[in-house]
Amino acid sequence: MSEVPLLEVRDLAVTFETAGGPLPAVSGVSFTVGPNETLGIVGESGSGKTVLARSIMGLQPRARVTTTGSVRLNGSETVGASEAELRRLWSTEVAMIFQDPMTALNPVMRVGKQIDETLRVRLGMSRPAAKARAIELLEMVGIPSPAQRYDAYPGQLSGGMRQRVVIAAALACTPKLLLADEPTTGLDVTIQAQILNLLDDLKDRLHMSVVLITHDLGVVATRTSHLAVMYAGRIVEFGATRDVFARHRMPYTRALLESSPRVANPSHTRLAAIPGRPPNLLTLGEGCAFAPRCAYASERCHVERPPLSAPDAAGHTFACWNPLTEESR
Amino acid sequence: MTDVLLSVRNLTVTFGKGAHRVSAVAGVSFDVYEGETLGLVGESGCGKSTTGKAIMKIVEPTSGSVSLDGADITSARGRTLRRLRTRMQMIFQDPISSLNPRRRIKDIVAEPLDCWGSATGAERDALVSDLLAKVGIDPVVYGNRYARQFSGGQCQRISIARSLAMRPKMLICDEMVSALDVSVQAQILNLLEDLKAEYGLTLLFIAHDLAVVKNVSDRVAVMYLGIICEIGPADVLYEAPAHPYTRFLLGAALEADPDAPRRSDVLEGEPPSPLNPPSGCRFRTRCPFAQEKCVNEVPVMRDVSPGHQVACHFPLVDVQ
Amino acid sequence: MSETLDDLGVLERPEASTPLGWLFWVCVGWLGLNVLAAIFANVLPLVDPLYQNYNVVNAGPSLHHLLGTDDLGRDIFSRIVFGSRVSIAVGVGAMAIGFGIGAPLGMMAAYRRGRFDTIVTTVMYVFLAFPAIVAVIAVLSFWTPRSLLKIILVIGLASVPLVYRVIRTATMAIATKDYVIAAKVQGATDRRILIKELLPNIAPIGVSFLLIGIATVVTLEGALAFLGLSVNPPTPSWGNMINESRTVMSQNPWLVLFPSLALCLFLLCLNFIGDRLRSHFDVTEVKL
Ligand SMILES: Nc1ncnc2c1ncn2[C@@H]1O[C@H](COP(=O)(O)OP(=O)(O)OP(=O)(O)O)[C@@H](O)[C@H]1O
Ligand SMILES: Nc1ncnc2c1ncn2[C@@H]1O[C@H](COP(=O)(O)OP(=O)(O)OP(=O)(O)O)[C@@H](O)[C@H]1O
Ligand code: SF4
Ligand code: SF4
Ligand SMILES: [Mg+2]
Ligand SMILES: [Mg+2]
Repeated sequence: MSEVPLLEVRDLAVTFETAGGPLPAVSGVSFTVGPNETLGIVGESGSGKTVLARSIMGLQPRARVTTTGSVRLNGSETVGASEAELRRLWSTEVAMIFQDPMTALNPVMRVGKQIDETLRVRLGMSRPAAKARAIELLEMVGIPSPAQRYDAYPGQLSGGMRQRVVIAAALACTPKLLLADEPTTGLDVTIQAQILNLLDDLKDRLHMSVVLITHDLGVVATRTSHLAVMYAGRIVEFGATRDVFARHRMPYTRALLESSPRVANPSHTRLAAIPGRPPNLLTLGEGCAFAPRCAYASERCHVERPPLSAPDAAGHTFACWNPLTEESR
Repeated sequence: MTDVLLSVRNLTVTFGKGAHRVSAVAGVSFDVYEGETLGLVGESGCGKSTTGKAIMKIVEPTSGSVSLDGADITSARGRTLRRLRTRMQMIFQDPISSLNPRRRIKDIVAEPLDCWGSATGAERDALVSDLLAKVGIDPVVYGNRYARQFSGGQCQRISIARSLAMRPKMLICDEMVSALDVSVQAQILNLLEDLKAEYGLTLLFIAHDLAVVKNVSDRVAVMYLGIICEIGPADVLYEAPAHPYTRFLLGAALEADPDAPRRSDVLEGEPPSPLNPPSGCRFRTRCPFAQEKCVNEVPVMRDVSPGHQVACHFPLVDVQ
Repeated sequence: MSETLDDLGVLERPEASTPLGWLFWVCVGWLGLNVLAAIFANVLPLVDPLYQNYNVVNAGPSLHHLLGTDDLGRDIFSRIVFGSRVSIAVGVGAMAIGFGIGAPLGMMAAYRRGRFDTIVTTVMYVFLAFPAIVAVIAVLSFWTPRSLLKIILVIGLASVPLVYRVIRTATMAIATKDYVIAAKVQGATDRRILIKELLPNIAPIGVSFLLIGIATVVTLEGALAFLGLSVNPPTPSWGNMINESRTVMSQNPWLVLFPSLALCLFLLCLNFIGDRLRSHFDVTEVKL
C-alpha cells in the first residue's frame, strides 16, 4: 500500500449522548482502504458497524453526538465537513448502500425517477440524458427489461430487485468507494449469492473500493482482501482476510468462527458457544470488553484495555493481552 | 427411531379467493419419527411457516391430514384440539413478540399449567423455577421481571421454558435462531440439543439457514414454492443432493472459510409468484436441466436410496 | 450446563417508562375535585342553584357570591357545581355505554375475524358513514320531552361505532402477535386469551381513548345546549349556562367566563391525563 489510501480512518470515535449517559458506539477505530480493494467489517449486532459507516459518510446527525478523529476520503476530511463539501464527496467519491432495502427507496416514487434525481441534482444532467443513464444503470445491475422497470414503484419489486435498484442508485455517480452496510441481510441465500457476485463484478468493472459490512463471516470469507473484526465499538483484529481466518490471534475472532455452524461439519456437531452476550456500551469498564466472556482472560484483561498491536509484516494487528499462538489455536 | 410420531399427508393451505388465491402449501407429505429432528429448509415465502402453523392448526388446512401419535389433529375441535396442541409446542422467530411484554416471566412460563390447572400453588412454583433454571435463567433473581426487560436470546430461552411446561412430545421451531447473533445462536442451539435429549423431544426445525439446519437435523426436507422437492438424511442430502434446487441452494450457502470454493453456478432469477405457480415441475422456470416433460408432468416423490426421496424427473444422482 | 449460562447481570432494556410528572397529578387532583363536588353537590353548603335573588342581579364576584350572580340573580358558583353534574354524567354515562358495547364487540371481532367480524364491521361502518352529530341532533329534537337519561343513551349509542373501530384496530395489531398464537398453542381458551393476553395490552389505548371520549362528549353536550337540545332549563349544565349567557354577555362577562373556564379546565385535564397515560404505558416505544 505505497500509494495514497482511498479511505483513511484515524482514531475515529463516535459517542452518543443518551438518557443513560454517554454511549461510545465507536472508539479508537483506525484503518485504511486502498484503491480497488475490498475491506470486510464483521461484528455482532450493536458492535457499531452501522455507526462507523455513517460516520465515514459524514451522515451522523450532529446533535447529541460527538465525533472525533479523522476520516479522509481521497484526501478530503469528512469529520466536521460542511454540508456542501459532503455533497461534493457524495457525488464523486463515496456512496452507501443501507442495511434495509425496503426503506432505502421512496415507496411512492418510480424507481427510475429516484436514480434520475441523483443524476440531475448531483451531476447536472439533462432529463433525457439522465433517463438514458438510469436505464443503463438498471441494466448494469442485472435488472431484466430495465426500460419497463424504470417506471415501476419499489413495492412492485421483490427484495432482491429492490436491492439491485439501491445499488444502481448508489453507483449513479460512479463513486470510488462503496460502503455496503449488510447489503444482503434479509435476502434469500440464492439472491444473496447473486447480489454479492454482482458487487464483486461491479467493483472490478468500475474500479471501486468496497467496504462490505456484515455480521456473517461467510459473506466476507471469500470476497474481501482485508478483514476487520469489531467488538463493542472497537476493531479488535485486522489483517488480510486469509490471515484473520487462519492465523487469528484474538480469542473473540476464534470464538466467533467456532460458534458459527458449518455446512461442511456433520450433523449434531457441538458448537463452541461463547457464554454471555455482548456488553452494554453504557457500562463498559476499563479492561478488555471481551474479558467477561473470554476463556483466556487473565487479571490484567479486567483492568487494562489491550491496545492494537504493532502490525506485522502482512499488516496483521490485534488487541489482546494473551493472544493465541500457533499451538493454542 | 422407527415409530412415526407426526404424520403429515397431502397438506394444502390456500389463502385468499379468486385472483388473490395463494396456494402457500400445495400438497406436502412427510413423517417425523420419534426422537429425531427433521429440518425444513427453503427460501422466504416457500411456505415453511404456513406448514408449521397448519400442523398446529393455527391456520386452517385447506385439505390433507395431520396426525400426532395416531390422533388426528385436522378433524379435532374445541377442547380436544386444545388438549392435542399441548402435546406439540411451537417456538417462533421473533423472540420479543413471542412473549407478552406486560406479564412476568414466571407467569408466562406457568401459563400452560394455569390453563389446564395441572399444577397449582407450591408445586406450580417449583415447576416453573425448575424450567427457568433448565434454560439458564435464575428464577429467583429474574422470575418476577417483565418479559420486555430481556434481550432476544433470553426471550428465546423463556419461550423454550414455556413450551416445555406441559412436557410435549414434539416441538416445532420456526426460525427460532434467525433473529439472534451468532454467539447467542450457538448457545440456543446447544441448549436445544441438551433439552431434546433430556426431555426425549422430537423436533421439526424450520429455518432458512442451511448450516444451522444441518447442524441440528437428522433428516432434512427441502421446500420450494409450497411443495417438498427433496427429503433425506442430512449428511446424504448435503453430500449428494438429488434435486437441482437443493444443489443450487447448497451452492449458494456461504462458508466461513476463505478456502471454500467460490462456486460460480449461481441460480438465476427469483422464485415465481405463488399466485401463479408454473405448470408441471414448480422449479422448471429456473432449472437449467428442465425439459419438455418438466412442463407437462408434475414430478412425484420417488426413492433414490433408502430414506432419500426426490420429486424430479431427472434427478442428479442415480436412482437405485 | 455452564456453557449456556447467559450473563443476565445487565438488562438490555431497563424499565424506562416516561414519568407521569407533577402536572399529571395536579390534573388528576382537579378532576377528582370536580367529580367529588358533582357527587356531593347536595350536601355541600351551596346556595340553591335555582334560587333567584333579584337584589343581586348580574353581580361580580364577591364574598357572598364567589363567582357572582347571573341575570336572574342565581349564584354562578353553585350553578357551575350543579351544572358539572349534567356534564360529567353525560360524559361518563355515554362513554360507559359506548365502551360497554363497542369495546367487547371490537375485541371479539378483531380476535375472531371471519364472518362475525365481517358482519359487525359492515354494520358499524354503515353507521359511521352517517354523521353522528346530525343523528344525535335529529333524534334529540324529536324525542321529547328530553331527559338526562335520554341524552346519555343517544350519545352513548352514537359513540359505539367509533369505540368499536378504535378497539378493533388496536386489538388487531396485538392479536397477530406471536405471544397470542403461543397462548393458543398452549391450549388457552379464547376467553383466557382475551382477558390475559389482549386486554392488558389494549387497556392503555382504551383508557386514553376513553378519557378523550369523555372530553368530546362533554363538549358535545355544550354544543347541544347551544342548540337548546340539552337538559331543559332552568336545570343548569355547563353548556346551558354558556348558552344562556349569550344574550347578556355585554352586561355580565363573568357569566360566560366562569362556566367556560370550568369546561376548558376540565377538558384540558382529561386530554392531558389521557396523553400522559398513553406514553407512560407504552412499553414498546424505545426510549434511549
Ligand atoms: N442515534 C443513536 N443514539 C444512541 N445510540 C445509538 C444511536 N445509533 C446507534 N446507537 C447505539 O450504538 C451502538 C452501535 O449501533 P450500530 O447500529 O452501529 O450497530 P451495528 O453493528 O450496525 O448492529 P446491527 O448488526 O444490529 O446493525 C448500539 O449500541 C446502538 O444502540
Ligand atoms: N395470512 C396470510 N394471508 C395471505 N397469504 C399468506 C398468509 N400467510 C402467508 N401467506 C403467503 O403464503 C406464502 C408462504 O408464506 P410463509 O410465511 O409460510 O413462508 P415462509 O416459508 O415461512 O417464509 P419466510 O422464510 O419468509 O418466513 C407466502 O407467499 C405468503 O405471502
Ligand atoms: S485481552 Fe484478555 S480478555 Fe481480552 S481477548 Fe485477550 S485474553 Fe481475552
Ligand atoms: S423436474 Fe425437471 S424442471 Fe423440475 S427440477 Fe427436475 S429437471 Fe428441473
Ligand atoms: Mg447495522
Ligand atoms: Mg416463516
